[in-house]
Amino acid sequence: MIEKRVVKKILNILLGNGADFSEVFVQKKAFNNLRLEDSKVENSTSGSELGCGLRVWAGESTFYAYIDSIKEDKLINAARVLSSAVNGSSKVKVLNLTETRSSYDISIKKAPSAVQPDDKIEILRLIDRESRNFSSHIVQVTSVLSDVEEEIFVANSYGFFSSEKSVRTLLGLSIVAKRGNDVGTAYKSIGRTCGYELFEKENLAELAVKTSGVAVTMLDAVDAPAGELPVVIGPAFGGVIFHEACGHGLEADAVLKGASVFKDKIGKKIASEVVTAIDDSTIEYRWGSYKFDGEGFPSCRTVLIKDGILQSYINDLKTSRKMGESQTGNGRRQSYRYIPYPRMSNTYIDRGIEEPESIIGSVNKGIYAKEFAGGQVDPVTGNFVFGISEGYLIEGGKISFPIKDATLIGNGPDILKKIEAVGNNLDFAPGFCGKNGQSVPNEVGQPTIKVSKITVGGTKK
Amino acid sequence: MKNDIKYKIRGNRLIKICKDTALKIRNYDVDEFEIFTASSVQNEIEIFKRNVENLSFSDSTGIGIRVFKDKSIGYAYTTVLEDSSIEDCIQKAVSNSKITEKDEYNYLPKDEEIVLKNKLIDDSLLFKESFLDYSVEDKIALSKKLEILTLNKDKKITDIENVIYNDNIYETAILNSTGFCDKYKATSCFIYVNAISKEKDDTSTGDFFGCGRTPADLDLDRIAGKAADRSVSILGGKKIKSQKATLILDPVVSTQFLGIIADGITADAVQKKKSLFEGRIGEKIFLSEINIFDDGTLPDGLSSRPFDGEGVIKGKTCVFKNGYLKTYLYNTYTARKDKTLSTGNAVRASYRSVPEVGISNFYMEPSNIDFNQLLRDMGSGFYVMDIIGLHSGVNPVSGQISVGAKGLWVENGSPEYPVKEVTIATDILSFCRSIKKIGNDLWFAPAGGYIGCPSLLIDNIMISGK
Repeated sequence: MIEKRVVKKILNILLGNGADFSEVFVQKKAFNNLRLEDSKVENSTSGSELGCGLRVWAGESTFYAYIDSIKEDKLINAARVLSSAVNGSSKVKVLNLTETRSSYDISIKKAPSAVQPDDKIEILRLIDRESRNFSSHIVQVTSVLSDVEEEIFVANSYGFFSSEKSVRTLLGLSIVAKRGNDVGTAYKSIGRTCGYELFEKENLAELAVKTSGVAVTMLDAVDAPAGELPVVIGPAFGGVIFHEACGHGLEADAVLKGASVFKDKIGKKIASEVVTAIDDSTIEYRWGSYKFDGEGFPSCRTVLIKDGILQSYINDLKTSRKMGESQTGNGRRQSYRYIPYPRMSNTYIDRGIEEPESIIGSVNKGIYAKEFAGGQVDPVTGNFVFGISEGYLIEGGKISFPIKDATLIGNGPDILKKIEAVGNNLDFAPGFCGKNGQSVPNEVGQPTIKVSKITVGGTKK
Repeated sequence: MKNDIKYKIRGNRLIKICKDTALKIRNYDVDEFEIFTASSVQNEIEIFKRNVENLSFSDSTGIGIRVFKDKSIGYAYTTVLEDSSIEDCIQKAVSNSKITEKDEYNYLPKDEEIVLKNKLIDDSLLFKESFLDYSVEDKIALSKKLEILTLNKDKKITDIENVIYNDNIYETAILNSTGFCDKYKATSCFIYVNAISKEKDDTSTGDFFGCGRTPADLDLDRIAGKAADRSVSILGGKKIKSQKATLILDPVVSTQFLGIIADGITADAVQKKKSLFEGRIGEKIFLSEINIFDDGTLPDGLSSRPFDGEGVIKGKTCVFKNGYLKTYLYNTYTARKDKTLSTGNAVRASYRSVPEVGISNFYMEPSNIDFNQLLRDMGSGFYVMDIIGLHSGVNPVSGQISVGAKGLWVENGSPEYPVKEVTIATDILSFCRSIKKIGNDLWFAPAGGYIGCPSLLIDNIMISGK
């Protein structure tokens, strides 16, 4: 994509005014998006982006610029302009560039660019048919199929470079069901860092039937209760509780700023002993997996919490240097337009030993929260919320009526201690995480878990 | 830290890109086409502990091409503005038009469909020359000043999580095959602070921001004061018993609720059966004092624009009048479906997407009741100063709303103690009916458009806590 001679030249220009560190991030991206709604393929958009992000450190400050080009003259100009903003005293030079290795190695079988438009459309049509056939109450089916193929090259003045080609394919499905004044909705998705080998007739039909089933079930939803109750949280997307209650607070930029409730807690018990949590960007084909992070560091598996004891924070290059810890391969960025920050990849509560049925059976009166619309946290205070999109009442140890959407609210450190049981049914779900104005793909996961008490934001006292 | 390359206005360059691209498209077998270009020059500064933590510069231009062939649409964009990339982009748009379905309403806006013939606002109000006088140094200085001002507002404030300043010079041009060719430019800036306060074992955060067309519009002292107050006043907050109560929503909160309503009155959501306002034109939704407008012509409105994302001149639309729903918001396509005319609400998030339907400056008219009077009118209840989880806690289709809230418990019209870690829950239509009084403190926030709302007194809302 870019000559090493040019890269080295740029890195040196960036160091020119006494900077401590310089970095070049080059990205080429081809994107396709197809949307079917009202049983019609109503939108087909293609995009191509090519650009370069330049980063410099001088003292405590980071300087950043990007351009939508990788032409040598434009890059030199942009590097000179950015460098002119720096006023440092460092005398470092760019070291010889050596390639970084990663043990993460996957193969792509059906790259998006090799798939015919008709075959892509057939995926959406199949989803539409299967969903609408499920029930006459279904009034809207929106399916969106998007794929990205990209090439990334990163090099820095410490003398490392890396390059990676990656593919991501995602199918999202939203269903609306209506019956008189009752409305039920559901959303599910399939996403992997691979090509169209992801889709088979069976998993597409299953996605349609499952999503439609939830939308129709929600037509009978009763008002959710208000107050503190025991809550059993379902596998896969339920992992959003850990993502919000704890994950963001472990991102080391928040810790360094004193803006995390988990500051100075390494080696201390922060969760119930049944909790072991992991961030792992090396799980093959997962939505949050990669060969290198956004700073060219190889992907890693990091145990965050072991049997309730905090083991590690989530680091990027800058935070790892400041904290004197090792890099965890979590320096991530949305694109060449953005500064990397410590971000989660595939983050999950690890498998426990209990049967999911017995966890539900242990609750006399509570909530089974199965699917979520997402969540949000204030890492400084640890206060977080997450919204249930598919939930049920538990009465006498059994799942009874579906409930209307409700938010759960709690405090991270407090809730982590209230996790009483962890099931043996670990599963994952893809999503996007927003932070500092950047959105990156990541995956949450967990088995079925039980929280002894959390405030449920319903309307029924 | 220097880096002050004088900005050169580039509207004519954007028009030239459009015209050159149009010449290329004429070699293809399409019925109609539209070329959208946008350029954005941004500067962002992040301050932490009196130091510049991050300083970034960006300068980006992109082009989006929409082609129509046999009533099918294809779209493609690129950020690489070289001949070969633009040619490739046109080819992709053309091949995409062979994929999408035909629709009788798929064609460019025609003259007779455009209500307003003359622009109601122009660059002289949207683009402030004085913006260009601010150097990076000046912006860093005012960001640092906000950090100090906020720290000094109250002894309980221990840290400032960050101050973020960013600004943008935006220029855009649209050219289409029916003869429309125009451009405009706008400046904007934004500054944000998050104050951390501590007392005994409790930690609290409070943020606030300001925005405008030029840094001179930013009232730093007021922003600092609000952030400090929002942080310190809820220190020591506790969870209260679950109960039905009367609430006052601060404008920071009410604007977010109004945003939910804005999503529901776009014609696209209605026509696709994803809105609770479907079939409710002419129905009384709010009490009679409530008027809500979408107005693209407000001089201070950050979402003001002479024309919309498909070149239709933008005016002022009354959406709710005396509490009655008068109209949905339309782009040209959705208007044709409902046998009406576009309200100039075609919006484009960027050159990456086709024009969809969205708000411009969307606001509720204020009354003459001041905030203290609202407090006295409420007597006892919950003054909600901030909410969390709007995106995961609102289902715009079924209408369920359930969000985390913090604020002050009020007795006999005066604040008694802080409240945190509770939720408030209702549904969209009940929320509309439950608004009993509106304040005089209209305040705007940029959120997908520019949304303005005063404080609102609402009754009979479920609070969930202990």
